Amino acid sequence: MIFDIALIIDSIPKMLMGIGLTLQLLFLSGALGLALAIILLLMRISGRWYLAVPTMVYIYVFRGTPILVQIFIIYYGLPQLDFVRESIFWPILREPFGCAIVALTLNTGAYVSEILRGGVLGVDRGLKEAGAALGLSAPHRFIYITTPIAIRLALPAYSNDVVSLMKSTALASTITLLDMMGIARTIVAETYAPYEIFISLMVIYLILTWFIQRTFGWIEKRMSRHVKSEV
Amino acid sequence: MEAVTGWWNDFFWGSLVVVELFVVALIMTVLFGLIGAAAKLSKSRVAQWIAGGYTVVFRGTPEILVLLLFYFGSAVTLTAIAQTYDPEIKFVDIPPFWAGSLAIALIVGSYATETFRGAFLGVDPGQVEAARALGLSNFQTFVYVRIPAMWRLALPPFGNHMLSLIKDTALIAIIGLEETLFVAEQAIGTTGKPFTMYIVVGAIYLGFSTIITLSVMVLEKYANRHLEVAR
Repeated sequence: MIFDIALIIDSIPKMLMGIGLTLQLLFLSGALGLALAIILLLMRISGRWYLAVPTMVYIYVFRGTPILVQIFIIYYGLPQLDFVRESIFWPILREPFGCAIVALTLNTGAYVSEILRGGVLGVDRGLKEAGAALGLSAPHRFIYITTPIAIRLALPAYSNDVVSLMKSTALASTITLLDMMGIARTIVAETYAPYEIFISLMVIYLILTWFIQRTFGWIEKRMSRHVKSEV
Repeated sequence: MEAVTGWWNDFFWGSLVVVELFVVALIMTVLFGLIGAAAKLSKSRVAQWIAGGYTVVFRGTPEILVLLLFYFGSAVTLTAIAQTYDPEIKFVDIPPFWAGSLAIALIVGSYATETFRGAFLGVDPGQVEAARALGLSNFQTFVYVRIPAMWRLALPPFGNHMLSLIKDTALIAIIGLEETLFVAEQAIGTTGKPFTMYIVVGAIYLGFSTIITLSVMVLEKYANRHLEVAR
């Protein structure tokens, strides 16, 4: 039981070959998930029950089930249904990469829309009333008053969600994708050296996490530079 | 749905495994969370440093990676130890149940550490001083004063940790534990209906999530009963 340094040096570049796929999964499903979250948020706070209730059910279902099960339903499950195979989405849902993107997007969209809703609800009512008193229409109030403040309020929670999305991309390895996790599992299956490989991969993921947190920390600081902190 | 008919029994036993996992992991999560919070709040630099490292590592790496490291890592170590006594032995492992519940408890425990730390800091220092003045020992203060005051504050975020815990149990099927996802895979092998089977798994998890959410609501009401204002 010795820690095989040569093996680590040998396999880190191999695992880093998968970082492109990990980042693609992160950025694509992060961006699509944010777009989905905004749509869900607008439906949720529209005040119309036929928009709000389906959104609530959607969020409840996607936050109440494991992401792994969602990935399996989409990748292994959907091809069972004939209408899915005949639909225009089949080229996407046929590929594991497309399935991973769809699953991660749907999942993160549900979480992020709740985070954004928290931000919107946190905006001081007085500001909105001031906007109304100044004669701004409801859409204007939402875009120019609520949104900038809500973004600032939601950012800390959002950065946590980006980290958990990054962690979820590792599950793409369960549907045959060779992201960093997938490559690491292949190497371990060949060399049977789980400590060396998995601990090095942990370090790589920790650096990614650190990078995400630093980036969001910087954005937060910039966005609240007009708010002098009391501390 | 008729494809599921023969499988209800297996799904029931699978769900029971999920419950057992949840209970075992929950107890360990609370323990790790309390130990971690105590270390973070202690005066010892070393303890703070260890607890800090613990939360950074387990919150910043993918769950599946921690799980695979624990399972395969322990298997390699145990096999190596066993082979020094008897070279005939090919493979020894920690049962997936224990490796899995320990891994997810360590992960969620790192989140619980932060929650508990915040909750302990939220306890009125006057109450602790009063306990000292009454001559209670450190341990008695901890059990009779700090814990009853902090659990009310920790409950809402801890509810979310319990939801993460139940959803993380799905991952343990990857290392071969016979829980619901594993049952679904077997059922798919004979019936060829992946969509139906995985939807059943999703529904089971949604049921568990609902039970946890409702229980936390009831507990919160109980915890805050002395704060209810007469209307």
